[in-house]
Amino acid sequence: MLGAGDWGLVASYRGAGIGTELQTNYAQRHLRFGWWSLLLFATLGLTLETLHGLKVRAYLDVSNETRRLMWTLAHAHGTLLGLVHVAFGLTVKSAALDPRALNVRAISSALIAASVLLPGGFFLGGIAFYGGDPGLGVLLVPFGAMSLIAAVFMIARAT
Amino acid sequence: MRRLAGVRNREIRGVAAALALVAAAALAAAVARERVEREGTVTDRPAQGARDGYESSSACRACHPSEYASWHASFHRTMTQIASPETVAASFDNVSVSDVVGEFMRLEIRGQQLWAEFDDPDRVGAGGGVEPRVARIRRRVVMTTGSHNQQIYWYATGNSRVLGQLPAIWLTADRRWIPRRAAVMRPPGPPHAETGAWNGICVACHTTDGRPRLDAPFGSRPIADQIADTTSAEFGIACEACHGPGGDHARANARPLRRYWLHLTGRADPTIVRPDRLDPRRSSQVCGQCHSFWEFADAASERRANSFGLPYRPGDDLTATRLVVQPTVNLESAAMKALLADDPAFVRDTFWSDGMVRATGREYNGLIDSPCFRKATDPKRTLSCFSCHTMHEDAGDARPLEEWRDDQLAAAARDNSACLQCHDRGPERAAPQERAAPQHVADVDVARAFQARDLSAHTHHRADSSGSVCYNCHMPYTTYGLLKTIRSHQISSPSVKETLETGRMNACNLCHVDQTLAWTAEAINKWYGRPAPPLAPDDESVAASLVTLLKGDAGQRAIVAQSLGWAPAQRASGTSWMAPYLALLLDDPYDAVRYIALRSLITLPGFETFQFDFIAPPQTRAALRVRALQTWRDARASSSRRVDAALLFNPDGTFNAPAVDRLMRERNTRRVVYRE
Repeated sequence: MLGAGDWGLVASYRGAGIGTELQTNYAQRHLRFGWWSLLLFATLGLTLETLHGLKVRAYLDVSNETRRLMWTLAHAHGTLLGLVHVAFGLTVKSAALDPRALNVRAISSALIAASVLLPGGFFLGGIAFYGGDPGLGVLLVPFGAMSLIAAVFMIARAT
Repeated sequence: MRRLAGVRNREIRGVAAALALVAAAALAAAVARERVEREGTVTDRPAQGARDGYESSSACRACHPSEYASWHASFHRTMTQIASPETVAASFDNVSVSDVVGEFMRLEIRGQQLWAEFDDPDRVGAGGGVEPRVARIRRRVVMTTGSHNQQIYWYATGNSRVLGQLPAIWLTADRRWIPRRAAVMRPPGPPHAETGAWNGICVACHTTDGRPRLDAPFGSRPIADQIADTTSAEFGIACEACHGPGGDHARANARPLRRYWLHLTGRADPTIVRPDRLDPRRSSQVCGQCHSFWEFADAASERRANSFGLPYRPGDDLTATRLVVQPTVNLESAAMKALLADDPAFVRDTFWSDGMVRATGREYNGLIDSPCFRKATDPKRTLSCFSCHTMHEDAGDARPLEEWRDDQLAAAARDNSACLQCHDRGPERAAPQERAAPQHVADVDVARAFQARDLSAHTHHRADSSGSVCYNCHMPYTTYGLLKTIRSHQISSPSVKETLETGRMNACNLCHVDQTLAWTAEAINKWYGRPAPPLAPDDESVAASLVTLLKGDAGQRAIVAQSLGWAPAQRASGTSWMAPYLALLLDDPYDAVRYIALRSLITLPGFETFQFDFIAPPQTRAALRVRALQTWRDARASSSRRVDAALLFNPDGTFNAPAVDRLMRERNTRRVVYRE
């Protein structure tokens, strides 16, 4: 619950910041992105469980331990980032951010980049790999991680 | 804002409290667990630890999970283990073991510790019995050796890190204890102590970079007068036993850019040895460092090895630092003469008279005397251990690791494909010097047969029969160890002449166990043009297996006894006549021969449930042998009879006892002691 003094901040945010329409657009964009991400990565999770259930050697063999790890990480990161998108969408919608510190366009782009690069890098890294080393796709992961950290930093600064 | 800050503080405190709770729970769990002995504090048994460039297998796991997993499943890893309730194959939970000489051996578990009470092996009398006032001792069991066929247990003697051996061992397949002496090919006699043997002998090959560190090399001084500070880099035959010390490799590859550069360029990493990338001769030496009979070049080498371990590292020339025993090559060397002065029966007990090794676990000796190795000129066509075996299961191998680890054969080497790696080529594709090589005369034959899709043209057996399996004719079961025979690893062709000269059963008669040597000589002459040698009357008229079973030494008898239980031999030769001969062996003086005879006997129809204790007292064994014969007679009355004279039956179906007695009187009763 916001206190009485906090409502003034919201008002200034609305006035000086991104505006209600844009705010709604960003909120909608991230809610939509988040929920679709959740659908995608929950489906990936179900697929991985199916691979377990069917004892698919290409996924479960010890020689494919790296693939299993990478795809599990892709599933986990994708799902959690989906939730982050939903949370960010709700945060923007509730206007609980400091308009002076908020660069919602940058945050939005960074979050989306993280959501593509992090799980995507892990997933690609598990397709072809070298023993205990993931494939080159994993090089996307550090960029995704930096995008996520940047986005979280900007959001944290604005709260 | 102050209120928001208050909320945040409360949240931070909450998170901190939760973290503290989790940490406390983890600590409590760690404390509650049984305290695991730390290697640095161990003083009563050999210790293991990374040193001198060795890192241990745990450092390899992160980058090589697949290789680690296949090694972890292998019997190489479990060759030496620290004894605990989890690593011992036998139960120690308040067990009394009666199958020992003297008083029962009593076993118990105290927490994670294993304890045993038994007659002190170092006080057992030499006259076959136990001293009247044998010392009863209670010792902590600290180490194990083996897990595949047998498991041996070692106790802390209380003298520095010197280990003693429990008087009984665990037979894995039979799930029973037997006296140590019954597990090896030795003539009957009193139990013998093996105190200090682990420190002085086992440590070299059953651990990675083992160092005895006795006051003086094992055997040069009574073990009771020695102090041992035995150590190894890792117990068991671990990654670095075959790949060399991995410290530099691990450090260099902590850099991801280097790893990916190697991945993408496919270049060899100079910081580690890959045996499969070595020249076939060097790669086989990696296995040969342990799977061979060898001797120190001189006393100084032995003293150095006692202090610093064996100097050989994978990739080195093995022969630069030790003498690999090859009676056909180096019998006259100074090291061999010194060895024979110490143990005059060594060569006779360990090698057939033509130099072929006859004890298992020494396959490298067989390999290097094989024509496919000795005469090969092209590295790509040189037989090596890796031609057939793989230390890490192939990625495409569908077998579970538990099945693969039994012999660690590569998926492509389980049938004739192993030999066809080279022998599917005709002379036109072979190098000129190869064409001239005598062993490649057979290649032409094999290649033509395969090109014509007619294997029978070479084997003269049905293509889908066991007689058309390369291994069966060229690697017969003529080596012995660990209560069984295994395939010879010296590639050879069936030869009656060799059988006559060495006493070693040829492949034909190990399958056609009902046939004479004359029959084999005639077949080889007809099919391959090799002249038949002159034969003695028994070789003309009595099945070769029976001549060997009745007249042969203990090692030869063991080979025939196992052959009679071999399914292809039973299919080729019938089983109705085998039981009386296996029954004869149930009363053999050698424990090992009796054990194998029993194992074969229970594969025969009517004997599936036959109960016999191969270490029972002689009078009990004799009675059971009579019962086995009676069982055979009862079963035989209702079955089709075989009355071949070659199988020593009279035309009326009775046993030709005088002939059997005569052959047994001619038995080679020399003492046979295998170095297993």
